[in-house]
Amino acid sequence: MTFDVTILAPHVPFILKGALLTAEACALALVGSLIIGLLVAALRTSSSAILSRAAFVYVDLFRNIPFIVQLFFFFYGLPEIGIYIDAFTTGVIALSIAGGAFSSDVIRSGILAIDTGILEAAEVSGLSKPVIFRKIVMPIALRTSIRPLGSVFINLVLTSSILSTITLNELTGSAKIVASDTFRPFEVYAVLLIVYASLTYLVSLAIGALHRHLNRDRMPDVA
Amino acid sequence: MRYTSFTSYDFVLLAQGLGVSLALFLATTLIGLLVGTIWAVIRFYRVPVLTQFITFFAELLKNSPVLVQLFLVFFGLPAVAKINVTPVEAAVITLSGNTAAFIYVIAVSAIESIGRDQIESARVFGLPRWQILRHVIAPQAMAFAVGPLTGLLVNQLQVTSLISVIGVVDLTKIGNILNLRTLKPFIVWTIVGGLYYVTAKLVALGGAKLERRLRAHTAWKGL
Repeated sequence: MTFDVTILAPHVPFILKGALLTAEACALALVGSLIIGLLVAALRTSSSAILSRAAFVYVDLFRNIPFIVQLFFFFYGLPEIGIYIDAFTTGVIALSIAGGAFSSDVIRSGILAIDTGILEAAEVSGLSKPVIFRKIVMPIALRTSIRPLGSVFINLVLTSSILSTITLNELTGSAKIVASDTFRPFEVYAVLLIVYASLTYLVSLAIGALHRHLNRDRMPDVA
Repeated sequence: MRYTSFTSYDFVLLAQGLGVSLALFLATTLIGLLVGTIWAVIRFYRVPVLTQFITFFAELLKNSPVLVQLFLVFFGLPAVAKINVTPVEAAVITLSGNTAAFIYVIAVSAIESIGRDQIESARVFGLPRWQILRHVIAPQAMAFAVGPLTGLLVNQLQVTSLISVIGVVDLTKIGNILNLRTLKPFIVWTIVGGLYYVTAKLVALGGAKLERRLRAHTAWKGL
């Protein structure tokens, strides 16, 4: 059999629909994992021993258990306790929770890298703890950890392909359908591989640009 | 008669699944270590066309979902090359290639972590390139690489769970089978997740021990 990509032309709109679903899931999961990551990073760096221990257990568990197992846990488990939600929502929730564990680690190291002098100055100025966290810690930590957060996000995009195992027809899921329609699995998956690679390459370019933009005033240190 | 309750035979099933997962993990890690190191050595010797090809190939493998790579090998390869690929073969090929790509990056940065002055003085002493690699670079690069390698292997252990999708009866597949039979997703996926967690922790522990041993010569011995 020869390698002929043109055979896929009529299926491009269908694949694009899957790609759109992937983009939606990833965007929602990005927001979700950023919120969870910020909260958990705040807990892990808090002075309370119980809170930081609890946050550590969460991160440790979700980083060391395969995503597909977590996904099945939610997908098959939630209906068992009377929560009936569709595959898309389940997927986004699972992605957010798993991504939250990874991004909280990144944000935490961003927080730990903040010069303690800044925090002491803020405390001396009489700012309350929540204000210090929102106005001083968060902006500094987020902008220094933009690049590692970007690689967490790229990983999220790659991980989202696993959502095809819970009947969600995103990019990989719709490619699977096209492959069984056309009987040309090699062409379909080879193209898919390139699509994912160029997608994540574009994301990493965008992250690099964002990083440079946010840190433009302290270029010599970080760029 | 209903077969929804757990039996003692289920433990055998779980152990069997864990065995398959572990065996594939070990096999693909060894092959990946070998291949990845060979790629890094090729880069070290600056072989003209091969180096660029390897860099591109590794980048492609790192930036695309393992699931798509699995589908490409399992469904695509038989269609295009008219050969039979069993699920286990496809799993070994894909996971080895994926691990090799990441190990290549670690090995390259480990080789580059050794100061140029060491290589230059070794060259002044008249050592050929191979002996420089063998006696000067390799021992130090190994100590440097163990840390990132441990992190990678913990990650690759979780990636092995994806092979259940193409029908390899590993721990996740066993979880799926038990889940469908007993209809108790919370119990089944908690046990499966726990087994993965413990295994990942053991891998991390082993890596930390090895790192301490390899770095022992640089540790402070006291006066």
